[in-house]
Amino acid sequence: MQDGALSLLSSAGIRLSEEALNSRRLALTDESGEYQFIFVKPADVPVYVEHGIADCGVVGRDVLMESEADLLLPLDLRIARCRLVVAAADADAMAKVQGMIRVATKYSQIARAHFGARGIPVEIIQLSGSVELAPALGLADMIVDLVETGTTLRENGLTVVEVITESTGRLVVNRASYQLKAEEVNRLVQALDRALNGVQ
Amino acid sequence: MRYYIGAEARLRRTVEDVAMSVFESWNYEEVITPSVDYYALFEQGMGPREAQRGFRFTDNDGRLLALRPDVTSSVARMAATLLSERPRPLRFCYAASVFRQQTQSHAEWRRENTQLGCELIGIDGKAADLEVLRLAAEILSRLDLDYCITINNVEIFNGVAANLNLHLSEREQLRRLIDTREAAELQRFLQSYDGNEARAFSQPTKLTGKREVISTARDLITNPRAVAALDSLEELWTEIESLGLADTFEIDLSDVSSLDYYTGLSLKVFVHGAGSSVGRGGRYDDLTGSFGRAEPAVGFVLNLDALTEVLGRRLI
Repeated sequence: MQDGALSLLSSAGIRLSEEALNSRRLALTDESGEYQFIFVKPADVPVYVEHGIADCGVVGRDVLMESEADLLLPLDLRIARCRLVVAAADADAMAKVQGMIRVATKYSQIARAHFGARGIPVEIIQLSGSVELAPALGLADMIVDLVETGTTLRENGLTVVEVITESTGRLVVNRASYQLKAEEVNRLVQALDRALNGVQ
Repeated sequence: MRYYIGAEARLRRTVEDVAMSVFESWNYEEVITPSVDYYALFEQGMGPREAQRGFRFTDNDGRLLALRPDVTSSVARMAATLLSERPRPLRFCYAASVFRQQTQSHAEWRRENTQLGCELIGIDGKAADLEVLRLAAEILSRLDLDYCITINNVEIFNGVAANLNLHLSEREQLRRLIDTREAAELQRFLQSYDGNEARAFSQPTKLTGKREVISTARDLITNPRAVAALDSLEELWTEIESLGLADTFEIDLSDVSSLDYYTGLSLKVFVHGAGSSVGRGGRYDDLTGSFGRAEPAVGFVLNLDALTEVLGRRLI
């Protein structure tokens, strides 16, 4: 996500110097001095932007769905494309499980909403990584996870049961900043929009 | 759960006093409404979805009570019942805490916050809308805040959506896409519908601004309901300009966050230093009707705690 976002920003004319990128500082200023960058974990991007500490952010749709943050989403940056899927060892797993389905995931909100919408009772097991291990070790019947190429799934003996949604990197904007710094925000949105539709 | 101690408490009191003195200078009478009332009142006043966020509990006889999640419901009922014989218009103001369960939102204010609000009941039209907008502007400038008030008329969206003959769920999807300014998804959504009108909403950057926003929208929007709303928004804007307030106001046609509640003007208040809106309001002509006496009404609330926080940071 970060590499994709930085290269997109740079084609929109917003560049970070090599020196700055190689440093270990988490707050940087771009070459023009107009933009300040902060680097945080994906799940924290909506938090910073919703509080207005950052006016704009770049984050995956998966993270946004999970956080249910109240943000504006003016641009799909079409970077870091991946799918959010339900996977299991057996493609027919859904039909075969008896009683309560145990679902291991990092995305408990999304998983709960996905199964809940169809009235399928599930027990959500919240993990923070290596979710693919859970079915093999008997912790869960299925997983809900992000899949880019599918290699990790295959190597752990899992197949996609269903695709919940596609996820790509999004530009998110704080609601107050959108009004109070309309000119600056619009300039950024338009520059990125041009960069995106130039590459297309 | 927030304590205010010493200087902070004084500042908060000052902010409240400023607002209440502005209300008073415009002849708004203070009202104090019950903090605990039957849940049915708020369900009727706010609609089930919003009222559900209130804290509910049962009385001895099993009836459902709630800590008030808003004040407007109580004021509207009071106007329709206790004060039904009083000559109109009625002007009321209040500084009162309201209680809501927190949502997922990270920046959502605490469970308890204090609303500085006013309601103008019994007169319709531009003059009433303008009055509450001027009131809000006066309070914010008396507090020396760097603010922006966005205005919209919900009938613009309602007219366009009605014209598209959308199902409820599609209408909600369209509303949500406009609300979050998802331009690309919006264009995809609209591809399956005939007619150009809704395309007026597909370029989010052209929905926010000054007078030009209305003329841009007019190029695409032609149904009478939405056009009438555009007309009245433009008239309001002309008045705002002539009062010299155009710098601190903006038109935002993409503010479609509370469509079920408002019936005409809707407004949101933003101030520099706060990450989310610090106030909102609008016209709610249907509300008093649900308490037995339909009449026009308009009002707004400011969040005292959010304003205090912004001003407090300035003192440090």
